[in-house]
Amino acid sequence: MTTSLDMATADATVPAVAMSGITKRFPGVIANHDVDFEVAVGEVHALLGENGAGKSTLSNVLTGLYHPDGGEIRLAGEVVRIGSPREALARGIGMVHQHFRLVPTFTVAENVMLGHTGRFNRRAAEDRVAEIGEEHGLPVDPSAKIWQLSVGQQQRVEILKALERDARVLILDEPTAVLTPQEAEALFVTLRRMAAGGRSVIFISHKLDEVMAVSDRVTVLRDGTDVGVVEVATTSARDLARLMVGRDVVFNADDGQERASVDADRIVLRVRDLCAADNRGRPALNGVDLDLAAGEIVAVVGVSGNGQRELAEAICGTRRRTGGTVEVDGQPTSGRDPREMIAKGVSHVPEDRLHTGLSPSASIEENLVLKSYRRPPISAGPFVRRRAVRRNAETLIERFGVKTTGPTVSTRLLSGGNVQKVLLAREFSAAPKVLVAASPTRGLDVGAIETVRGLLLDASRSGTAVLLITEELDEALALADRVAVIYEGRIVGVVDRASADLTEIGLLMGGGRPPAEEL
Amino acid sequence: MLRLERRVDVPRWWTWAVPVASVLAAMVLGAVLIVSSGNDPLDVYRRIFESAVLGSGSLSGTVVAATPLLFTGLAAAAAFRMGVFNIGGEGQFIIGAIAGAGVALRFGESMGAGVIPLMIVAAAVAGALWAAIAGALRAWFKTNEIITSLMLNYIALNIGDYLIFNSESSWRLLEGSGRMFPQGKPIDTSAEWPFSHVGPVDFPFGFWLGVIIAIVVWVLYRRTRFGFEVKVIADSPSAATYAGMRARRTIVSVMALSGALAGIGGASDIGDTRHVFDPKGLRQSGYGYTGIVVAALARLNPVAVVPVALLMGGLNNAGRALQGRDFPAGLVGTLQGLILFCALGGEILARYRVRRVAKAVLAS
Amino acid sequence: MKRSAFVSSLLAGALLLSACGKSESGSSSSGESDAKSDGGAVKAAWIYVGPTNDGGWTTAHDNGRKAVEKALGDKVETTFKENVPEGPEVAQVIEDLVKDGNKIIFATSFGFGDAMMAAAKKYPDVKFEHATGIPNDIENFSTYFGAGEQSLYLSGMAAGAETKKGVIGFVAPFPIPEVVRHINAYALGVQSVNPSAVVRVVWINNWFDPPKERQAAESLVAGGADVIASGGDSPAPGEAAKTLGVGWTGYDSDQSTNFPDVWLTAAVYDWGPYYTEHVQSVIDGDWKKQDYYGSIADGFTDIAPFGTRVTDDTKAKIEAKKDEIKSGDFDIFAGPIVDQAGAEKVAAGASLPFGDQMSIDWFVKGVEGDIPKS
Repeated sequence: MTTSLDMATADATVPAVAMSGITKRFPGVIANHDVDFEVAVGEVHALLGENGAGKSTLSNVLTGLYHPDGGEIRLAGEVVRIGSPREALARGIGMVHQHFRLVPTFTVAENVMLGHTGRFNRRAAEDRVAEIGEEHGLPVDPSAKIWQLSVGQQQRVEILKALERDARVLILDEPTAVLTPQEAEALFVTLRRMAAGGRSVIFISHKLDEVMAVSDRVTVLRDGTDVGVVEVATTSARDLARLMVGRDVVFNADDGQERASVDADRIVLRVRDLCAADNRGRPALNGVDLDLAAGEIVAVVGVSGNGQRELAEAICGTRRRTGGTVEVDGQPTSGRDPREMIAKGVSHVPEDRLHTGLSPSASIEENLVLKSYRRPPISAGPFVRRRAVRRNAETLIERFGVKTTGPTVSTRLLSGGNVQKVLLAREFSAAPKVLVAASPTRGLDVGAIETVRGLLLDASRSGTAVLLITEELDEALALADRVAVIYEGRIVGVVDRASADLTEIGLLMGGGRPPAEEL
Repeated sequence: MLRLERRVDVPRWWTWAVPVASVLAAMVLGAVLIVSSGNDPLDVYRRIFESAVLGSGSLSGTVVAATPLLFTGLAAAAAFRMGVFNIGGEGQFIIGAIAGAGVALRFGESMGAGVIPLMIVAAAVAGALWAAIAGALRAWFKTNEIITSLMLNYIALNIGDYLIFNSESSWRLLEGSGRMFPQGKPIDTSAEWPFSHVGPVDFPFGFWLGVIIAIVVWVLYRRTRFGFEVKVIADSPSAATYAGMRARRTIVSVMALSGALAGIGGASDIGDTRHVFDPKGLRQSGYGYTGIVVAALARLNPVAVVPVALLMGGLNNAGRALQGRDFPAGLVGTLQGLILFCALGGEILARYRVRRVAKAVLAS
Repeated sequence: MKRSAFVSSLLAGALLLSACGKSESGSSSSGESDAKSDGGAVKAAWIYVGPTNDGGWTTAHDNGRKAVEKALGDKVETTFKENVPEGPEVAQVIEDLVKDGNKIIFATSFGFGDAMMAAAKKYPDVKFEHATGIPNDIENFSTYFGAGEQSLYLSGMAAGAETKKGVIGFVAPFPIPEVVRHINAYALGVQSVNPSAVVRVVWINNWFDPPKERQAAESLVAGGADVIASGGDSPAPGEAAKTLGVGWTGYDSDQSTNFPDVWLTAAVYDWGPYYTEHVQSVIDGDWKKQDYYGSIADGFTDIAPFGTRVTDDTKAKIEAKKDEIKSGDFDIFAGPIVDQAGAEKVAAGASLPFGDQMSIDWFVKGVEGDIPKS
């Protein structure tokens, strides 16, 4: 079964990889629909697309993790069926995952040789790893333990692992996501060098500048289909952006729903130069400025991982701010304590609803007082008034149409839509001045999405300023009065819904040139 | 592949049926063990029952043995409910005993029985502070409280040894037989805690105190804002933070509460039974560790700790009564272990169902 | 905590050493008939603080119990409770033993004292005997222990002959009179054959703590000692000695077969004859209250068989000394004895009074180490 691609016999005109008509369905979703994808020998080929466009599915099909429902794969002209990642590796396809699969307490050489059978000869292994590293310009100490290495060095080890198995096709899934700019720079040099040596590199990314910098050709995926293959030399970041997001936008905001009247003079949320770090301590927000007026909905869009989560948390006090200020209705906040923000009237619909927004094992009625339990009328002195809790639950369940058999049901037993309703019911019932909603419709079915969007509009109509953080451009344009684009922890552009240009937004999301200086 | 799955709906009657079934299962398994050791199971069970319940003074003995376990069991339950694993009940008990004995020795003679509330308060405060060390380390430095509280046990034991064996502390008896062998100074008889008699059974004051405290803890966890916070923090720390709960402060509070409960147990040890501070005896008894088992069997329910402590106390006494030439200590221990094992096993089966799972499902 | 020193009334000098359970008819409150259980056998029980296989204190007592069974056959029915904690639980244990019909109960740890005394008052028909206990005036309550210091003097002689560097390390349990007395006796024994040798003391503050005992032994050897002496209950110092290849004198139990290379000898107690006699006296109905302090002359204390390291010459010297002790010709605490500072504590021709022995709180010259001020 192993016909590893051999350079000596490979014909340069026959593509190293040729996938045609690939279709992969998941329950309820078509992740790849009739996708054609070709990679030539000796090129760096980028696979570009938004989150959910089908990039990962396609690469998982190629590495044998998924079995396609249709289509065929040719390696160096030969039709193959790839049953497993192991088989893919045997056929010369190596994958560098975004999350490394290394054993931290093993040495570099041990990790590289992991999976080989037979006796492990330390000296020979280290020599071999050093040799491969030398050859490809990937210097790393073979005897170092993984945990001692920087993230960039660990990535090198992952690449070395693939090269050691003589991978002729190397797939890198968002390889720069974890790297510093300098490390990314070095990685690009390595990738170019491997391509020059006759290997093929598949570079999965959604960052336009990187794609422009490193690849020869780009295949753009959108909504599970390939929408074009372009030579980098003959295109621009702008064109790529249009390809990436340029769908027929359904403007359903003016769908008869009455919009809130924005009281532009009353800025209830004023964010200035806000900075915060991510969970690993690296800067994630690098000076965010935002203003929200009462009754206004502002959507923050961007490719995930550009600081959206940190933005929501830094505003709501659940993440420490490292710089900048947040004012609510003209009052400064310290941001040291979520309780302060709750008291100031900031409601928060977190991304992780079930485990952050709610206490999953607690009952619905308990979750509905998760923030109000410490004040009358829910509590009396040190005691929680059980009758008040019950009454509150009965009212909210009725008002928000939560489908449940009773208020004492454990929240985690609810469906996704009902979980979100419980959360929104609680947050809205506090009559907030500001509502920060992070991906509030993600993972919900169509009906629930409709309900949630309706509730957000309701909130704005009642004067709440809504900060909607979303990856769905459609949703942003449907609901928001203004759309702000976040890229690498900065707001790189704010556009009015009326004048929104999708291509422009796409370009900004991919880190393209900032359009105007007037942010 | 077998997998445990949480049961969604547990019928009410299971809460009592499961423990009863577990004990029956343990008795059947135990009978096999007893027969194979060449004894008569019916006779053994009769002796267990007799020495724990029926015999003259047996119930009194059981209550006395249960009293310290009541406190350490409550201490463990109070902490474990929030997922704070206070293994330091042992040390907190000892620190409480030191404080209780210290107060009794200092003021016992002059205050008489009036010193008893003072002993309780001193022991509670001392135990709370001792436990709060591990709590604060966990809350602010993310130190594993299992390790720190365990280490604090050794420190407490060594402090106890120091007071009695290596110094002329005021806890130590320095005249009479105390000159011959290091031992604690007995507290004034007026500071000894009273026994009350219900029918033929003698109840130490500490037992009633423990029962009252168990109810108070139950109310605290079920009915108050504090209890609500504890529940949320235990279930999802991120949700607690999100809701503006002060998780750190609550962790320290729960640790301190747990330590206070164990500490009062230490005072009860001094006041109810030993009347001297005896680090050697305390080390040997290991009440703190048994308390963890008690709490686990009580499903961390403070009120359920009371019957479970009585069960454990009775079982320990019965175990010693059983032991003898034909019935080695090891067999007794195995029998006790079997009963506990069945109880825990029943607990798991009550809350989870075992499912056969196809491998493919796991892989996806 | 197992043993305590003996006792205030001994201090007062009121009690006789020689009154070692010689049968005298008389004042037993329990008649012959109710002393015997069905089938005619008298029931006797032992309460141990440790497991019967601890290889030390409890093992020695349990061997005593077995000796009773062997000697008295079906006239007696023995039982024991092991691993009994010193605490409120003891009362229940005693209660159960009485209920089971035991007529004499031996408790072998100091910490059982209070519960034993309480039970003795409650059950006047049952005899209670407390090893290492405190004498009192309860009619059916006796205490018993033995003069380990004589045996320690003899094992000190073996150590003195063994050491080349003249430094012997003593792993000592608690700084209490009993142990201080033992160390002094040991040092005097050492000096009797090797006048310039010193005994260096490390306190471990426990009777039974194998890791700590082992550590102490190792540090003593590292500090220059070439013989190790155990004062505690575990054979751990012997293991250290074996590893380091130095000689070892044990305590409480004969380890000659387990540590043949390093074994010298050890002070041991033989509880069998005492137990046999006292159970017999219950059978005969002439049990008598007493506070017994056994000696080599009684056969109550002795030394274990010698190891291969001990030369014939040394063996002969030790045996000779043992005979002198037995016959009463030699008193190990005979003057002149000077303390560490050089002050004379016992004048030549005098002897350290028994009361002073029981409360001794100073080391003889040649012992290196402090008695913590306590």
